[in-house]
Amino acid sequence: MRANFAKAAAAGDEAPLWFYAHLFLTHPETRQLFPVSMAHQRDRLFAALGEVVARVDDLDSLVPILQQLGRDHRKFGTVTEHYPAVGASLLATLEHFDEEWDEALAADWTAAYELVASVMVQAADEMSDQPPWWDAEVVAHERRTVDTAVLRLRSKVPLPYRPGESISLETELRPRLWRYYSPANAFRPDGELEIHARAQPGGPVSTALVRQVHVGDVLRLGPPVDHMRFDPDSDRDLLLVAGGTGLAPLKAIVDHVARNGAQRRVDLFVGVRLEEDLYDREDLTRLAQDNPWLTVTVAVSEDEHTQFAHGDVGEVVARSGPWGSREAYVAGPPAMVDDTVGRLRQQGLPEERIRTEVFAPSRPGPDVHGEVTT
Amino acid sequence: MSTTPEPAGFGGRRLSPADVRDVRFGRSSVFRPGYDDVEVDRFLERVGEELSRLHAEKAELRDRVHALQARLDDDGPRPEAPSAQAVGILAAAQQTADQYVAEAEAISRVMTAEAREHYEEQVREAREKVGAMIQAAHEAASRIAAAQGTAAVAAQSGTVDTRTEEELQEQVRYLQAFGQACRAQLRAYLEALLADVEREWGAASPQAVPVAPRPQAEPLRAGRASADPAPAAVTAAPDPAASGAAPDGEGSGAAEPRTVEAAAVLLSDESLRGQEAGRRQ
Repeated sequence: MRANFAKAAAAGDEAPLWFYAHLFLTHPETRQLFPVSMAHQRDRLFAALGEVVARVDDLDSLVPILQQLGRDHRKFGTVTEHYPAVGASLLATLEHFDEEWDEALAADWTAAYELVASVMVQAADEMSDQPPWWDAEVVAHERRTVDTAVLRLRSKVPLPYRPGESISLETELRPRLWRYYSPANAFRPDGELEIHARAQPGGPVSTALVRQVHVGDVLRLGPPVDHMRFDPDSDRDLLLVAGGTGLAPLKAIVDHVARNGAQRRVDLFVGVRLEEDLYDREDLTRLAQDNPWLTVTVAVSEDEHTQFAHGDVGEVVARSGPWGSREAYVAGPPAMVDDTVGRLRQQGLPEERIRTEVFAPSRPGPDVHGEVTT
Repeated sequence: MSTTPEPAGFGGRRLSPADVRDVRFGRSSVFRPGYDDVEVDRFLERVGEELSRLHAEKAELRDRVHALQARLDDDGPRPEAPSAQAVGILAAAQQTADQYVAEAEAISRVMTAEAREHYEEQVREAREKVGAMIQAAHEAASRIAAAQGTAAVAAQSGTVDTRTEEELQEQVRYLQAFGQACRAQLRAYLEALLADVEREWGAASPQAVPVAPRPQAEPLRAGRASADPAPAAVTAAPDPAASGAAPDGEGSGAAEPRTVEAAAVLLSDESLRGQEAGRRQ
């Protein structure tokens, strides 16, 4: 089986291209489950298949991956009936790219695929008490800067999540492209969510969210993914360091602390390049005024005449220390996260008390490990 | 799952070939012997054979029906496997579509990045110019104040002093508002550029990109202030005056000619007024 898969994999993009063409011709109804451009999809399909083939003898590590995949596929609209269709096209593809295809190989692949499909279907079925996705209406849309918008969404059925988690979302302006965003507030029973979106150059979803989505539009939300791993039960004082829209999950943590008796001191550092990039100034001012336990510090990196602290946010955090006793959460662009974490470590903050989430330009769905691509 | 009713045999059971073979007939009486045993036996043999044949045939037909039914159920409405040509055509079409999308995204990326760079450069330049103008105004103010200070040693009037200061304050406010106006215009310009970029992108809706409201400039008194000492006031930290004390037409008319001239370098005085008027609504 491995040798056979290697042949298809060696064909590069041809094999998944052939697979999807075959699938859409035999089952045209599956086309609508995929985005307009299939380029990224093809990469992901064979990466996932390669993972399965590599672990086919190691069920203990394979099964959790498949279960996660199965659960995650619910929001794509995948239903049990789609699995045999995919299996048939997969076999046809493997056969097409292998001249030594025989009945024995066909039987092996059929059995392997049936196992994979049954694990995925079962994991998906176990989630059937949850909707596959949540419809959320845009109730407010504010352009805060040239390329940043703050959206307020309200999901009819509340989508439960914990502070610091991200949820994937899809707009019908960019069908079947799911991107991860972190709510900037703690869970509300009325299902209201605040989303911070920054238009990435060339980014289809983020530009649509910032420039084209309007009040009244309906977005789809997927189940939450916990990348930051915020510990809501700890009573340690907090150090929160945000860069760009990395502010969102940290604002949710501040909200959580405020709603739970404000038992923890919180220092929030917000890094921006220029003062006008500080898109959430009003809320930050209000939060700092209303909450004596909260200190908000703004660091502006590229304007030495700023009224705020000047410098990279990591640098400003470091010179405001020491932070050795805190629990630190850092969210923002890769370089900013690395720099801040490095400085905190230097200050003696233990590794296990620094948690991070990297906000990179394109954030497609989780890979086969369930990781959010960063 | 037979649906055809079977003829009832012994006790309602289906008549099997064995039933026919094993049947035993009693004799009715001594005086009237029954059928010829040999003939009856031969006939029964034939009945048994016929039944066997029919059963076998029926089983075979039933199997065939099941097989055909199963094929219908499994394959559903699926036609035969798509031809290699069809797969090839669809694959090529998909690839072409993917390329277009990738190109559109790349163009959008480049244009947005360039537009942003352009915007930031303009804002930086404008800010530097405004800073220089305000600096010049302050210097002029202190010169005049100094000159009048010496004059005031002899004279007794303090009113000239304050009036000049008021004028200069007004001028400073004007320049600050002018700086805001510059930024608002540049912003509108950039957004127009971005709107173009959006139109390039496949599904982009062609409607005009709305101009976001300017964030209200008020100092964020958030938290521990900068570790650096507060910078000199000359850098024109956004002031609440921006919304309240924007100069009106008279104000700009009363400004020092030198400033107006400098302002004309960036924008015409007219467009500036238009901007201010728009912002007040």
